Amino acid sequence: MRAFLLSRLSQSLVLLVIVSMIGFVILSISPGGPLSQQGLDPGMTQADIARIKEQLGLNRPLWIQYLDWAWRLVQGDWGHSFRGGTPVLTVIGRHVFATLLLMGTSTMIAIAVGTWIGIRGATHRYSLFDYLATAGAMVALSIPTFWFGLVGIYIFSLRLGWLPAGNMYTIGDGSALNYLHHLILPSIVLSLVHVAVWSRYMRTATLDAISQDFVKTARAKGVSERRVLMKHVVGNALLPMITLAGVQLPSILTGALVTETVFTWPGMGRLFLDSLNYSDYPVVMGLLMFSAVLVILGNLIADIVVAIVDPRIRLA
Amino acid sequence: MTALAVSTAPSRWWHSRAAYRFMNHRLALLGLAMITLLTLACVVGPYLLPYDSLNIDLRARFAPPMTGNHYLGTDPLGRDLAARLLMAGRISLLVGFSAMLISIVIGALVGVVAGYRGGWISAVLMRTVDGFLSFPSIFLVLALAAALRPSPLMITVIIALTKWMEVARIVETEVRSLREREFVQASRMLGLSGTHIMFREILPNAMGPIIVAASLTVARAILLEAYISFLGYGIQPPLPSWGNMLNGAQQYLASAPWLAIIPGAAITIAVTSFNFIGDGLRDALDVRNDHI
Amino acid sequence: MTKRSGNSSYSRRDALRVMAIGGAASLLAPNLLGKPAYGQTRREKPTGRIIVGLSQEPTIFNPLMVKIEVDDGVHFSVFDALFRVDPKGVIQPNLAAEVPSQKNGGISEDGLKWRVRLRDNVRWHDGAPFTAEDVKFTLELITNPKFRSWRTAGHSLVRDITVVSPQEITWRMEEAFAPYLSFLTETFIVPKHILEKEADPNTAAFNQAPVGTGAFKWGKRVAGDHLELVANPDYFGEGPYINQLVFKYIPDLTVLYTQFKSGDIDLVGQAYITPDNYQEARKLPDRVVTLVPRSSVETIYFNLERPQFKELAVRQAIYAAIDRKAILEGLYYGVPNATETFMPRQSFYHNPNLPVQEFSLKQAREILDKAGWLPGRDGIRAKDGVRLSFANSATSGDHLREQVQQFLKQSLAEIGIEMTISNLPSAVIFGDFWVKSQFDTMFAGITYLIGADPDVTNRFHSRAIAAKGGRGSNTAQYANPEVDALLDKGARSFDPDERRAIYHKVQELVRRDLPFMPLYQSTSVHGCKSAIRGVIPNPNTRTESWNAASWYRTA
Repeated sequence: MRAFLLSRLSQSLVLLVIVSMIGFVILSISPGGPLSQQGLDPGMTQADIARIKEQLGLNRPLWIQYLDWAWRLVQGDWGHSFRGGTPVLTVIGRHVFATLLLMGTSTMIAIAVGTWIGIRGATHRYSLFDYLATAGAMVALSIPTFWFGLVGIYIFSLRLGWLPAGNMYTIGDGSALNYLHHLILPSIVLSLVHVAVWSRYMRTATLDAISQDFVKTARAKGVSERRVLMKHVVGNALLPMITLAGVQLPSILTGALVTETVFTWPGMGRLFLDSLNYSDYPVVMGLLMFSAVLVILGNLIADIVVAIVDPRIRLA
Repeated sequence: MTALAVSTAPSRWWHSRAAYRFMNHRLALLGLAMITLLTLACVVGPYLLPYDSLNIDLRARFAPPMTGNHYLGTDPLGRDLAARLLMAGRISLLVGFSAMLISIVIGALVGVVAGYRGGWISAVLMRTVDGFLSFPSIFLVLALAAALRPSPLMITVIIALTKWMEVARIVETEVRSLREREFVQASRMLGLSGTHIMFREILPNAMGPIIVAASLTVARAILLEAYISFLGYGIQPPLPSWGNMLNGAQQYLASAPWLAIIPGAAITIAVTSFNFIGDGLRDALDVRNDHI
Repeated sequence: MTKRSGNSSYSRRDALRVMAIGGAASLLAPNLLGKPAYGQTRREKPTGRIIVGLSQEPTIFNPLMVKIEVDDGVHFSVFDALFRVDPKGVIQPNLAAEVPSQKNGGISEDGLKWRVRLRDNVRWHDGAPFTAEDVKFTLELITNPKFRSWRTAGHSLVRDITVVSPQEITWRMEEAFAPYLSFLTETFIVPKHILEKEADPNTAAFNQAPVGTGAFKWGKRVAGDHLELVANPDYFGEGPYINQLVFKYIPDLTVLYTQFKSGDIDLVGQAYITPDNYQEARKLPDRVVTLVPRSSVETIYFNLERPQFKELAVRQAIYAAIDRKAILEGLYYGVPNATETFMPRQSFYHNPNLPVQEFSLKQAREILDKAGWLPGRDGIRAKDGVRLSFANSATSGDHLREQVQQFLKQSLAEIGIEMTISNLPSAVIFGDFWVKSQFDTMFAGITYLIGADPDVTNRFHSRAIAAKGGRGSNTAQYANPEVDALLDKGARSFDPDERRAIYHKVQELVRRDLPFMPLYQSTSVHGCKSAIRGVIPNPNTRTESWNAASWYRTA
């Protein structure tokens, strides 16, 4: 087990280095740079811009910038934002909560609804419900998240006026109810794709489980259908779904970014877009690394869980 | 020419049976019909409509659908939305299709080489694949699009760059299993070069999964183009694309909702069609693919 | 009532003297800072909250660091500069007790020696007294090579800063530079006693929790969402009358407007209400919606080094082919006003006698025919092998400009000129592409003035062409020796009337040479709840929140 862990961990580290290099190269080929915001200013001179470039260390060769950045990162220093000099981790930390709240809520919705649809589809195989769920999942995977958000805003905010069109809460009203009210639309929008994925997966997993011997045995013993399903099928199917959760993380992050844009949600997605617009490279790099770590960690945990459950995997 | 005889031995066994199964897949047929219609409309439609997609008429701005000959209404410059939608479709479909082709080529290349060679070559290639997969692709794409001058070609390449990894993985798995099959062993014993074996012997036999991946990749590429263009980093006006038609639409959501609803519906129809087709192909070709 | 004595205490004579420097000659409003006549309803104790909605997020809180417009609202509220410029363009004392001039002896006859007297009743938010040492520290920090400071123009000319007494400071200028007084209206003074202890001023804790002398103290910030400032009851000047000032970040302009409509925000700040919502907004109950001229001018720049633009006739023809009326009324809903110059209309230096552009495709064709630009086989005009084809660039994702571009493209095609649209992301476009003149034509809203000073050396002097190694942002690569000489003269002169003549001539020459096409002077649609009073727009600053100290609520 230890050898397995070590090898997976070292692989992950190599991955992170590759990710950081890709990110750094991409940012460095940008012809604009963080001072382009000042290009229109009537009072900024070329000398000012050259001076600030030097102060930010942007006039050094790329590989030195990279090594410098990487060395600091190893020591736990993620650098400082070009906007105001705040430490990058602080900047990201301020936006993590909003994103996690949104992702968490929508994941819970996805699990609940997806599990229900999946199990029902499996137990009522080839029924109208199953057929609609299959087609519906495929359509859900095809709808652009942001467009679904726009349509949602149009119907529920602009036409019906039931739900707020954006923001995480009303200023001066930080109550849980207020948060909840603002959460409904974006989290449903974000969960759409994942309901589709979960339900598909759950359906397959349930079908697999139903055909297994112990379920048949349990059923033969006269345990009720519902209990068999809940205890054995769901219990067995949920485990592999953890793997899926790890694999799904990048797409949840992507969805979150777009959803945050549509709903003016103060999370990491919007921070990323703002930082891109300002060419705030340290923050952009920080977010890239942060999300890469999340994704790799998700995969790693999934692998480990599977390895613990199924020792054969370790040999592979 | 014994090699040829050997290589065709496993034959394209899926040909007839697969076609039959595909034709029985109702959703796939629906998808095929929709995408054929949509493509046809995009190719021919602009010539049939009474308005040119670039014709600006400030007096007719924000006309709702079914105003006069503006079947889908007009945009903020008074241009005919139907004409723009079809012209945009050309771009979006073309970008999606080209991005798919590029990513299939890259992915197949990497997958075949990694799967056949194995060893450190495989390790390096597949870790690079993992590296690219570790980026939430939207972050990567946006960073690239913000850094480069957005042109349709550039957007296509960028999208392809984030979509080839899955193809590579699928192909690699397939090739690794094919590598030990008799016809490959035979080719090797005949002294055929590695390149020949990889691309003449193995690749044709891995076509099933590649075709499935291709149809799903088109769907994702169209979606991704929509995402980037919606965020303002993609295809730039005056060139219309379904994504950038939506870019300005949020501003007019209250006063002219059709500007947002219609292009989004077009995207959904196109992407759904490709997903249906992909699903049908997967069933027909009996490809196991966990990446949905 | 001593509290209020600050801004409005200057006498009539002071005002005259001040204006001699600052500009506006005609206006002598007693309530220059907009103290409303119905001020009785104001409460003495700060009460209530005002939420300002902004479409960009303020993130720079050290007012001396590299910043953008939207940060200014916070700086004006938390800090003070030595002077401030009022809506009429008159420079008034703020932390300084008076505005130095050649007449009052604050500035020597040769313009080189400056002496500034300071108020003696100012305290920092932490209670420490404000003195001349803080001013010295601030001016030195700006030119500290390690500090990531914003503009250093003007400041880099300052030498021999001497603290004469806690309330008096003097310095010498390397050369006479009249615009410096205006620069100082945007130079906020930071506390020495806090920042001098910091090893690296770029990453100081102060930058995230600033301490100023202003009407509002730092409250708390929810990054990505909003920023709360709280009243400073010991403010030396007028106000504050509200207890809490909130800057709420709403990145989408539609949502910004929607929230103004719904009442979630009290006042629409930067980038204001979009023109397409103006007519609707005007009719909203309990809202005051006004058109406010900004100092920026919507401009299409020519890159004069491109072969197709070297000839004046081409520029004239293109200018004549712009149906400005249709654009302003159709696309901008009649919100902004056409202009012929870079100088804002409200400026004392604005030249109203410039020739007015008239839209005429016929005339445009004639100009081009006469100049020898004749349609080629592809319908595009050409001369000596140069095709009359060019790209126009704007920030991508800017819907209104995109609409104008597509409209222009169509008009120009009618007279045989090919215009392509090549828009770039904001992070790219205003880098070297703009500064080093890599564009054909550029479409942007450009601010020419700093504060209310008419100096435009940076934009039009041939020394300021960065593409040719210059130091400024003369990105049109405009070179006219006559303009150069006038600009040099204008920057050295402290006499408003003399300067007025100089800059009138500059505007005339620039209008004639057309290095850029002025489309219109930007006008923003401001909106606030009618219960909020004291909000006075000031086109000489970059923010609507320049005088939040005087804002108050009636309900």
